[in-house]
Amino acid sequence: MEQSVFAGLRVLDLTDQKGSLCGRILADMGADVIKVEPPGGDSARRIGPFLDDAPHPDRSLFFWFYNLNKRSLTLDLTSSKGIEVFDRLARSADLVIESSAPGRLRELGLGWDHLHEINPALILCSIAPFGQTGPRRNYQADDSVLAALGGMTYVCGYPGETPVRPLGLQAYHSGCYYAVIGIVAALFARDHDGAGQWVDLSIQEATVSAVEHLPGRYFGENDIPRRYGAMHWFRGFRVAKCRDGYVMHSISGDWNTLLEWARSDGQAEELAQPQWNEDGYRRANWERLYAILDEWVKDKNRDEMATRAQTLRLPYAAVRPLDELATDEQLAARGYFAEVEHPELGRTFRYPGAPILFGATPWRAYRRPPLIGEHTVEILGRELGMEAEELAVMSAEGVI
Amino acid sequence: MAQLPLAGIRVLDFTWVLAGPVATRILAALGAEVIKVERKSGYIAPRTGVHGDLNRDKLSIALNMSAPGAIEVAHRVVKISDLVIDNFSARVMRQWRMDYESLVKIKPDIICLSMSGFGHTGPRADYVSFGPTLQAFTGFTLNMADEKGRPAGFSYSYSDSAAGYTGAMAALFALWHRRRTGRGQFIDFAQFEGLVSLVGPSMLDMTANARPQRPQGWRSQEGPAAPHGAYRCRPRGDDDDRWLVIAARTHEEWTRLVRALGSPAWASQPQFATLYMRMRNRGELDAHIGRWTAGQQAEAAMSTLQSAGVPAGLIANAQDCCALDPQLAERGFWPALSLPEGGETKVCGIPFKLSGTPVGVRRHSSIAGESNDYVFGDLLGLSRGERDDLIEKKILWP
Repeated sequence: MEQSVFAGLRVLDLTDQKGSLCGRILADMGADVIKVEPPGGDSARRIGPFLDDAPHPDRSLFFWFYNLNKRSLTLDLTSSKGIEVFDRLARSADLVIESSAPGRLRELGLGWDHLHEINPALILCSIAPFGQTGPRRNYQADDSVLAALGGMTYVCGYPGETPVRPLGLQAYHSGCYYAVIGIVAALFARDHDGAGQWVDLSIQEATVSAVEHLPGRYFGENDIPRRYGAMHWFRGFRVAKCRDGYVMHSISGDWNTLLEWARSDGQAEELAQPQWNEDGYRRANWERLYAILDEWVKDKNRDEMATRAQTLRLPYAAVRPLDELATDEQLAARGYFAEVEHPELGRTFRYPGAPILFGATPWRAYRRPPLIGEHTVEILGRELGMEAEELAVMSAEGVI
Repeated sequence: MAQLPLAGIRVLDFTWVLAGPVATRILAALGAEVIKVERKSGYIAPRTGVHGDLNRDKLSIALNMSAPGAIEVAHRVVKISDLVIDNFSARVMRQWRMDYESLVKIKPDIICLSMSGFGHTGPRADYVSFGPTLQAFTGFTLNMADEKGRPAGFSYSYSDSAAGYTGAMAALFALWHRRRTGRGQFIDFAQFEGLVSLVGPSMLDMTANARPQRPQGWRSQEGPAAPHGAYRCRPRGDDDDRWLVIAARTHEEWTRLVRALGSPAWASQPQFATLYMRMRNRGELDAHIGRWTAGQQAEAAMSTLQSAGVPAGLIANAQDCCALDPQLAERGFWPALSLPEGGETKVCGIPFKLSGTPVGVRRHSSIAGESNDYVFGDLLGLSRGERDDLIEKKILWP
């Protein structure tokens, strides 16, 4: 097997839940990611769901997902000894990732100028709700606030009613993926001139970037997209109730194929009128169009409907609950899940694994998420060469 | 000026619709030369709007892949490229002999990134899909139900944007690997799997706890919080679709919130004394908060709460984001591009800054075929006569 993409890349990960996915992705690609946690652990360890509903910092499934493949070191960065140790770690690191409030790192004595001085090749990536500059840089935000200010939430839900909260911390996720992109860009730049850079990522900006139509519609057409219920804004797709659930209609495939199919069921005769042949007419008269199609599918079976559509090359889909992913045959066939052993629990768990299959470079889970401070001695003692007695003193003083 | 990170990298871009173009627009912002392969039709896509925003910074060649001889021409472009990207379903590139197995023979270190809906293997490899259908199939549409239990989900293709940044990231990984090893590779990225990876904690709750997943509504997804919700605000002009998100977790945030609301009597009632009690009585709590926001402009309420240190944000629409947000404006997130036809258009920036390298948007999008002379003439060295011959053979559009 070839070596991983980031084999040999040493990363210090200071992030909480806002930024943890960034280090997880790098760790999956082979980087040595050391989670530097405050004594007591990363705040994400207190976020559920918990294994068997038993809250405990080493049983947070939330923490598990975002910290797979990392090592953990506890270090009190509010103490001078903690800073001294961090400095030593930073001298041999390639990358520091952090998600603290803008200015906080500098207060601790670990600002960009300092890090750049002690290790000119070091890359610092700051993942902050609004970035490091600007009038709102100190605004307080969680993912739901960022999804709102990032334009994502306004276009989820039904017209005139309470917007629907996006599922799954997508503001943080967008931020973290873009942070990885910024980090690799900085690695390329370092390859040119040897110098590390400071990557200043705004989660709000990453969130707006991931709302496909907002800027283009606003700047191009002076249009403010609204909420359209379970219909795509361009009207090409809408959810319909069927006998045993829901299917998603699509008028974005071949129109004649769809029409023939519906008519072969003795339905949708009205759509045979010539004006419906025109795509513009169909989109303009979407309410009538979908009403006719809804009537056609209301007694159909969800999966039969979706399967038949695919044999006709029409992009219909079953509208499934999240639960069906756990037994999804496509994911299983592609080896998507990773079986990760947790020896201290005597159990093995199925993790969401590789979203990308690389021909030459593996993306494979191999190390369960760390227990709090699990690798403190390994990293400070064996790798940094600190004496056992010094570690004992630091432990007594609550630094580690 | 510092060299851009991907200076010298050339991308041959077969992508269409959204996910692929998002990926290549990111690579272009980092300095790659992106050559978009397009068909030419009577319709000329504008340099403004969604299409212009998606394709800024890219070159365009009008190459008719179904004309006899076109594949040989495409192969010549591959020989001077580093990365070939598509987001077709798995079989299309194979039919054109533009798949990795074909291309690696003519360019041994080529990287091919395929961003298909379901990947190149497995029982659904050949399914046709779009962002909305992938979201529905994954579970976003049902599990993002509204208060009445109706399926809603995203009214747009979040899937495409997410697949776009995941695809760009995958391309960067492979380029970095090639820089270190000299080797190219094939990347099989299934957009479906990209989406599934965005609900990780829910997946573990299913596989480890065997718990069925229900729509969570406005309940906090990152630890207990109350209040935590979307509250309707006073209309702005005739726009009554104004909302504020408030999220209070800690005791400090709650006391700051109460103070910011003017310490109303209801807030000192015992049913709101602890976070647990506030969560138990969230309906009543939300009603109180909602009565306050109903008399407030969303912006003003946000400002009041943020000044007090309470996490709050207005539910921004396109105008709020693109024209009124002082933070995005101050950070230059909506750069203006001047257009060759005159005037300018604003587009979406790149959500990070590098301290030493000016990555980001540089120029407007290209009209289909606009870069034919540059690519086939300057880069491939075909004479005017040879290019006319390709036009004659309907391989290139004039």
